Amino acid sequence: MPKQIAIYGKGGIGKSSTASNVAAACADEGHRVTIIGCDPKSDSSITLLRGRRIPTIMDLMRQGEDIKEEDIVFSGYKGVKCVEIGGPEPGIGCAGRGIIVAISLLKKISKAIEDTDLVIYDVPGDIVCGGFVAPVKKGLVNEAYVLTSGEYMPLYAANNICKGLSRLEMTLNGVICNSRGAPNEENIVSEFAKEIGSRLLAFIPKDVLVQTCEREGYSVIEKASDSAIAGVYRKLARSIMARSEGKIPMPLDDKRLRELTRI
Amino acid sequence: MPVKEKEPLIMHPRPSSIVAALYTLRDLDTDVVILHGPPGCCFKHARLLEEDGMRVVTTSLDESGFVFGGHDSLVEVLEKVIKRFNPKRIGIVGTCASMIIGEELHEAVTEVQPDVPVIEVEVHAGYRDNTKGVIIALESALASGIISEAEFERQKGLLKEATMVEKRHGAASKEYLEPNRGDLKFKVAGRLLELLKQGKKGLNILNAKKETAFMFADINLAVAETAEKLGCGPNIINMANLDDNVGLPKNRRNAREIKDELKQRGMELHHIIGGLDEYPVAGNTASRIISENYPDYDFAVITGVPHALPIDNIKNMELFSITNGPRQVVPLKDMGHKHVVVEIDLHPKTLGVNHIVESEFGATLREMAKDA
Repeated sequence: MPKQIAIYGKGGIGKSSTASNVAAACADEGHRVTIIGCDPKSDSSITLLRGRRIPTIMDLMRQGEDIKEEDIVFSGYKGVKCVEIGGPEPGIGCAGRGIIVAISLLKKISKAIEDTDLVIYDVPGDIVCGGFVAPVKKGLVNEAYVLTSGEYMPLYAANNICKGLSRLEMTLNGVICNSRGAPNEENIVSEFAKEIGSRLLAFIPKDVLVQTCEREGYSVIEKASDSAIAGVYRKLARSIMARSEGKIPMPLDDKRLRELTRI
Repeated sequence: MPVKEKEPLIMHPRPSSIVAALYTLRDLDTDVVILHGPPGCCFKHARLLEEDGMRVVTTSLDESGFVFGGHDSLVEVLEKVIKRFNPKRIGIVGTCASMIIGEELHEAVTEVQPDVPVIEVEVHAGYRDNTKGVIIALESALASGIISEAEFERQKGLLKEATMVEKRHGAASKEYLEPNRGDLKFKVAGRLLELLKQGKKGLNILNAKKETAFMFADINLAVAETAEKLGCGPNIINMANLDDNVGLPKNRRNAREIKDELKQRGMELHHIIGGLDEYPVAGNTASRIISENYPDYDFAVITGVPHALPIDNIKNMELFSITNGPRQVVPLKDMGHKHVVVEIDLHPKTLGVNHIVESEFGATLREMAKDA
């Protein structure tokens, strides 16, 4: 059974950048990787495909296509299998139902989420309804990671996600700090991780190189493979691939969360 | 990329996949079904199915259930069902509302851990063909070991054929079908009597869907009785899809009950053309038998699903069709069936019975035969 992970965190905190760099780093080490973009914005895999936008499952379903595996599973950097679920236009229809339908179609027509070593679900920042937890509820995710910075609002979101995970009895396998340059950030996130019963898996420093590469349609692993930041992603990828024990997180109360960010 | 041929829009209301799943669970001898959804969903059929002895309850999702999820209600209802009905087999069936909000039926089962089998059917009514509801229910029955792989494949093949029958000449054949009460029973019965009296040779075919045969068989019985009374019994050949060795438990039982009663009331079945769930393909068997033995017969009475009988070998006969679908009249006329009679509201009268139920057309024919 492949390692099936989901990366959660506040919108805009860098989940897609982290997911695609981890995917690329794992592919570099010879692992077979599949990345499933669950965000209606469908931008999870773009930096693994040299800036190319692939058709989403929802786009094809809307057009009434007879969908085959090769129409929705695309080979990206070093063979990473890329799938974008997509969704309706903002404000129309039901994106959550879209995820449920797309996941069941994907399971039916493709082995991309079984015949692989690592599946990364890049989920939207806000789990707004039942559909967005479909991968977890359908048993397709066995490890969860939370991405946050050391600022109050991202930590608040991370803590909320932990509430959701504990309600779903889903284990948390680690906290990743994507630095925004806040003071004492590594200590804050490390302490947060410890108090919810987890551990800080990686500290990703703020580096403009990530944005520069993304703008051109690349991950740093591909475009700047010798950079320090690429090294950080490689280390994170190794920790994720290593056997790790997850624990159901114990969310903090808001008072403690506010105290933490004052360290 | 192969683009699917866009299926034409069909505007008239058609049978629901959720209801199809409910009937399938009944055929699988399920004791209680929980509909996970709003209280009014499938009310009419839920009520009717209780006539067949299956209990149907609902989790009664309301606005707050839609917003906050219905897991707790499902757990509560499942526990209550176990306590109140002591069922040996439970079904849980989805609805549009619960499926859209992403309810996981299995979570409630995992939480409650009933010690009897639970068939979980994740279905909504948004499928083009209602047979999808049957397939999903059977897949789940297969997964819980209630039916065999062979039976599943057999059913799947039949359902595919049933869908094709509806697309060719049935409810899914046109963008819009006008409901129609069909021809006057009095006139059609009169014409049939005339043919019998003239000593014409006729085929008397029952090709009915499952329990509807309890009433359709009455028409074939009336035809046989009338012919006998007029002394032209040998001119009539009887065929029926009453094989009691195939299908789900209830269908076998019903085939046996109807066959026994027909025999006991003096009607001889010359050919068995399939089982009660084989109505989409039994017409092909009948067609072959006709071409081999009775190609020159003068008329045919076909009850149940007349449009499943290929027209080739009967097109020169005067056709009398009896259906229970007001939307089936126009397609049957288009096929070349001269007389089309509708037994309105037939299905509800065939639930919860184990004997032949009198039909209006059968009663009309018998009454008119008294004066013949």
